[in-house]
Amino acid sequence: MPKTVLVVDDSPTMRQMVAFTLSSAGYQVVEAGNGKEAVGKVNGGTKPDLVVTDLNMPEMDGISLIKEIRKMPALKFTPILMLTTEASDDKKKAGQAAGATGWIVKPFNPEQMMAVIKKVLPA
Amino acid sequence: MSTDLSHFKDAFFEESQEHLTTIEEGLLQLEQRPGDIDLLNRIFRGAHSIKGNSGMFGFTAVSQFTHKMESVLDQLRSSQMVVTVEVADLLLQSLDCLKALIDCAKSGEAPNDELVSALGVRLEACQNGATPPKTGAVTAAPVPSHATQEHHYTITWAPPQYLFQRGLDPTQFIKELGELGCVKIASLDTSRLPGLKELDPEQCYLGWTLEVETVKELKVIEAVFDFVRDDSTLTIVDRQATGAPASAMSDGTKPLGEILVESGVVSQVELNQALSQQKRVGEILVEQKAATPEQISEALKKQSDNAPAKKAETPSIRVDTVKIDRLINLVGELVITQSMLSDLGSRFEMSQLPVLLERVAQLERNTREIQERVMGIRMVPIGNAFSRFPRLVRDLSGKAGKKIHLILSGEETELDKTVIESIGDPLTHLVRNSADHGLETPTERLAAGKPEQGIIRLNAFHEGGNICITVEDDGRGLNREKILAKGVKQGLIAESDKLSDEQIWMLIFKPGFSTADKVTDVSGRGVGMDVVKRNIEGLGGTVSIKTTAGKGTTFTLKLPLTLAIIEGMTVRVGKDTYIVPLLSILESIQPKREMIKTIVGKGELVNVRGMYLPLMRLYDVFRLEPELSDPTKAILLILETEGERVAVMVDEILGQQQVVIKSMEQNFRKIEGVAGATILGDGTVGFILDVRGLLNISRNGTAQAA
Amino acid sequence: MAEQDSTNKDLNHQMGISTDGSQFLTFQLGEELYGVDILRVQEIKGYTAVTRIPNTPPHIKGVLNLRGTIVPIVELRTKFGMPTIEYTMFTVIVVVVVKEKIMGLVVDAVSDVLDIDKKDIQPAPQFGAQVDVSFLNGIGKAGDKLVALLDMDRLLTDGDMTESERIAA
Repeated sequence: MPKTVLVVDDSPTMRQMVAFTLSSAGYQVVEAGNGKEAVGKVNGGTKPDLVVTDLNMPEMDGISLIKEIRKMPALKFTPILMLTTEASDDKKKAGQAAGATGWIVKPFNPEQMMAVIKKVLPA
Repeated sequence: MSTDLSHFKDAFFEESQEHLTTIEEGLLQLEQRPGDIDLLNRIFRGAHSIKGNSGMFGFTAVSQFTHKMESVLDQLRSSQMVVTVEVADLLLQSLDCLKALIDCAKSGEAPNDELVSALGVRLEACQNGATPPKTGAVTAAPVPSHATQEHHYTITWAPPQYLFQRGLDPTQFIKELGELGCVKIASLDTSRLPGLKELDPEQCYLGWTLEVETVKELKVIEAVFDFVRDDSTLTIVDRQATGAPASAMSDGTKPLGEILVESGVVSQVELNQALSQQKRVGEILVEQKAATPEQISEALKKQSDNAPAKKAETPSIRVDTVKIDRLINLVGELVITQSMLSDLGSRFEMSQLPVLLERVAQLERNTREIQERVMGIRMVPIGNAFSRFPRLVRDLSGKAGKKIHLILSGEETELDKTVIESIGDPLTHLVRNSADHGLETPTERLAAGKPEQGIIRLNAFHEGGNICITVEDDGRGLNREKILAKGVKQGLIAESDKLSDEQIWMLIFKPGFSTADKVTDVSGRGVGMDVVKRNIEGLGGTVSIKTTAGKGTTFTLKLPLTLAIIEGMTVRVGKDTYIVPLLSILESIQPKREMIKTIVGKGELVNVRGMYLPLMRLYDVFRLEPELSDPTKAILLILETEGERVAVMVDEILGQQQVVIKSMEQNFRKIEGVAGATILGDGTVGFILDVRGLLNISRNGTAQAA
Repeated sequence: MAEQDSTNKDLNHQMGISTDGSQFLTFQLGEELYGVDILRVQEIKGYTAVTRIPNTPPHIKGVLNLRGTIVPIVELRTKFGMPTIEYTMFTVIVVVVVKEKIMGLVVDAVSDVLDIDKKDIQPAPQFGAQVDVSFLNGIGKAGDKLVALLDMDRLLTDGDMTESERIAA
């Protein structure tokens, strides 16, 4: 059964590219435009095996989303990857403190993204 | 396998345009509400998105420049810096530069590097003014690669207890190491394992000592533990290292730059910048304090402003799903009507004629509604075209030293997308004109008893089948005498010509005409107004002027709601049918004998309410066989184009209808005197007349009739 | 065996099966047979009333509505300097594609689709100034017939397509 990835980013371009790369690699992709939407998707029945989220979003930002996800029993141990820019060490720390598994550094090419995903999501 | 991301580039450019608009609108609003954190956040996110996305496509120039803007915006939104007019100005200028950079990324042209770096310097200075300069990130000097050799790493790892709660699985790490080489679990560390009663299955208590044999570098092994390194107890020892530490030992002297980078004095990025070969004029001058960075970037802006504007046309359109839904319903109804007709047709008898007629009428209603709805899909609110004006007026009032208040109304008025794209430039020119020449300086206004602040008002509304857009100012109005004098001087009119006010105002649309005393870099060179008129008329519209000396001027643009359909009057000449655009018809008359005169050298004239208009026999111009050759028995259509009037003779007026304009150029070419073609009710082709073209032919061609 | 080969070839020819050349739609103008590359032919239409275009050369008969598109119609007889005749029930319009534009050619009657090998095509001989052969790709031989192969790209000259065509009547 294909694994499901929940992709959260307020940039449609970014979502499209990530979704495309993931579905080409055989993953099922669910998209959300911000943290609030993402929570909505999960409450509406989506069971992601992995969450990939941006940090800067309206309505509910990435860090808050990570905290929310970790509160949900079904997603307590689900890998969560943050999309970060190089210089934001403090964001990485804050994300980890909130419960994030790891990060993908922007800008990235599809191969780099898949490499990180492989690290945290067993095939 | 490499995934090709290039077809997402379009999405990137489209999205970036939206972000740019958000940033610009936000910055303009910011001046009224400098403390609005929400607004600042919104602006910041826009820049942040552009930065992130552009990096994905390798548009480094865009990414780096946006980063600088983002840094300033970050400080603003975290209240470390206050929004001042200077900061807003800098950000707006940077926004323009960013727009240009993105355009260059799209078109492949080289960007204006000088402007980019000059603004970059100012942005950094602005950022640093608020906080102490950030120390550059330390980038390790590249490690020269060892020749491929076997490494034997001993790894001791005790992950943090909350490992699982981060969604991490220690076996994943071991698996990953396994993919890099040969992994053996040397020992299991259970020292942290509590008794069964205290054991929390959601915590990680174990640790491992692993032996890894691999050809991979230390870096690669370290990278496996990227996500847990800071929180774990981790040691990686390369057993077979030659005793020298993993960092590089060079043989010769290291370049100064490398040393500086390694010791953290500068970042690699800063070093690269310093190393860039050409020192640009602007930079040298700033260093020598001969010019300030502001002056340099102003001058650079002027340089790029005068560069020909590039039009970015989006091939896509955003449509309200409500509109689509309605259309789908209508198509459904159409299908029903069609099947009812088929059904009737398969077993038709004359007795059912009323039913047939009724269903045909229903078909007509369905079709008309679908047509309207489909047209409606391409209709976009004119607010889109108006959105550039607040910024423009702000810049103009600054430049001209005038106080201008811009009022926009009718932004919801919808018009066809293609029309919107084409009116942007003409509107801009009219607004510039009002700001530059129409409105007086504050001193002049006060002296004239007017409020200091001048008003420019843009309004849009529907009238008949057209959209009217007005650009109104309460400035000094047009100067009749000056225009007349200029007209005479340029040989456009003779001193003795009696011209109506309207005709005098229309003079300003002649190429090269300008009564401006001062030519600014914005307008006054007389190259704008005639282009405005040409553009509007090219869209099938008209321009008209109303002005009162000392009170102000209003320009009115009248445009068809869509480019593809016009209201026309069907007329007949002999056996041929023609369509005359309703917009150009003033009236139709049947002349009396006394009204017609023939003058040597000027041809036939007809007296219409005191004015003598040239009489054009359409059959002559088109070499057709008319039914009537006596004007008093035929119909004269009084047509107007560009302030000129002409009486066109036809045999009969058949009616009035909306016609769909079909292109002649698609398969053939443009025909002089013909604006386009259409399919008539009987399936044959009818031509739509172009008054300007007819006048040209009658002036140059008819005399040579065989 | 050689006979077998040539019999096959003849059969192929007669059935219009393309072997080594191209296929041409042939049509009649007076006594002569003309041919057009089949790939250029969009459709064949019965003749319907054409709207005359003001101030155009006589060989441009006018325009036609082809399912919503405006298509110019060329009277080939006039273009080739032949006298025009009354249209019969065989008169058709051959709709062809030329450089992204569509146009129609009025012909007396349509004939077969013929397969003509490249080697059976000779360059058009210059008949002197009488007949303009600049729009011929060559003369093809199909069986015992001679087909004048039209160069569609040169049929409607640039002169026809530009504004400056203001005829001195």
